[in-house]
Amino acid sequence: MAKRPGGELATRPLHFIWIADCSGSMSVDGKIQALNTAIREALPHMRQVADENPNAEVLVRALKFSSGAQWHVSQPTPVADFKWADLRTEGVTDLGRALAMVAEQLRIPPMSDRALPPVLVLISDGCPTDDFNKGLQALMNEPWGKKAVRIAIAIGEDADTEVLQKFIGHPELKPLQANNPETLVRHIKWVSTAVLKSASSPASQAAGLTSGLNVPIPTPPVAAGPSSADDVW
Amino acid sequence: MTAPNPPNWRTLAASVRGAAHHRAGLPNQDAVRVARANGGLPLIVALADGHGSAKSFRSQHGARSAVAVALEVRGALFEPDSLSRIKRWAEERLPLELVRRWRERVDRSLVRRPFAPAELESLDPASRQQVEANPYLAYGSTLLAVIVAPTFILYLQLGDGDILTVSASGEVERPLPRDERLIANETTSLCSDKAWNDVRVQFQALAGAPPALVLAATDGYANSFRDEAGFRQVARDLWEMIRDEGVAAVQPHLKAWLNEASRQGSGDDITVGMIWRPMAAATHSQPDPG
Repeated sequence: MAKRPGGELATRPLHFIWIADCSGSMSVDGKIQALNTAIREALPHMRQVADENPNAEVLVRALKFSSGAQWHVSQPTPVADFKWADLRTEGVTDLGRALAMVAEQLRIPPMSDRALPPVLVLISDGCPTDDFNKGLQALMNEPWGKKAVRIAIAIGEDADTEVLQKFIGHPELKPLQANNPETLVRHIKWVSTAVLKSASSPASQAAGLTSGLNVPIPTPPVAAGPSSADDVW
Repeated sequence: MTAPNPPNWRTLAASVRGAAHHRAGLPNQDAVRVARANGGLPLIVALADGHGSAKSFRSQHGARSAVAVALEVRGALFEPDSLSRIKRWAEERLPLELVRRWRERVDRSLVRRPFAPAELESLDPASRQQVEANPYLAYGSTLLAVIVAPTFILYLQLGDGDILTVSASGEVERPLPRDERLIANETTSLCSDKAWNDVRVQFQALAGAPPALVLAATDGYANSFRDEAGFRQVARDLWEMIRDEGVAAVQPHLKAWLNEASRQGSGDDITVGMIWRPMAAATHSQPDPG
């Protein structure tokens, strides 16, 4: 066949970013160990979903926040190569700083306008100790921050669900509550599979006519009641 | 309004079902039509990309209607009797006319074939409410059109997709700037409220150096390249192939190229329409005859 016209072909990047609370309270009752286990166990499922859609290039990163924030995995890493190193805890809950750092990475450039909507997964067990609203504003000032699929998981009863709801930004989508390790595993698996699948093959839709979610989010796993005998957090 | 020795513009169009649509069992939701007057000009190439989201479950039909109304309004474009009036009509009235006629077609379609319970039952309650409040949403589509007349070219775009021009010397340009709002698979659409406000029109009088080739493509094509430069190169490469080897170097391979781009790129449906001047091909190293 004759030479194909045009430059290099490429699948569309899908940036998936874990934003994990590593404040001191996450060390209580094994929360951080449960989170490390849940993410590690979800990775094979995530890879499988990515394999099923070869037109999306799933690139994973992780940011941790406590006193300040820093990238735990700074390079957008193909999901096939992504490895999870255990998070450790210390300090307070500087969520605002974390969101500002994510916002920097969602600028165009380094982001491309041909990317698929990024998926941001925020996991927290407490209340922000810095200027959360400033960080959220920085995120929402970026076109890709506004269009990102923003999911939040509240660990334990002390998590500030109002803040997590503000992060999500869509009233029809609620923070997922995890009060025990099993529920946390289920939620992490859901975002790693069902949400990733939706985000990796979104159909076009008319701007301004939808309820605000530019990616259809599947129904989350059924949560137990307000409190369950298995709850430890 | 006739130009001396109007060039014999040629056209080529192709559309392929996206690799992701193959996997999901979805049809090709793009549409394309080419039409020309008996004497050759005016000619039109119109492309449309049906949205394909769950709420736009009839967008394949919406896209077909979009290209059909583009062909219809092409006739009305020549009723004004001077270039400046045509330009004004194109900029002020054409968007309204396109949206009005597209909605009339959708209305007729809905009378013939109202929404079936199965179509609505597959939607979540919020989506169903939106479609019932705005049935045009079910038919949502973009529209790109290029009309070549003896004395002007009109570029028209509503929603995502790309139009590129290549000059006789190989320079690639966008006659319409990119709409920075259109990311994350959201697009302006024929089904939007006051959609005519989102129709972008560029009028080019053919007094100076007209483009040698115009390429219009649905967004699945540009999204299949790593960067903008790689996509722009498509237009330049196609022009050079046609200029140096004739259309036979492109036509038999075009669908295979588009399939390859979808498979290794966006996975989306891809549709292209091309218009070029063989005269420019024959005289590419000569001063442009104008």
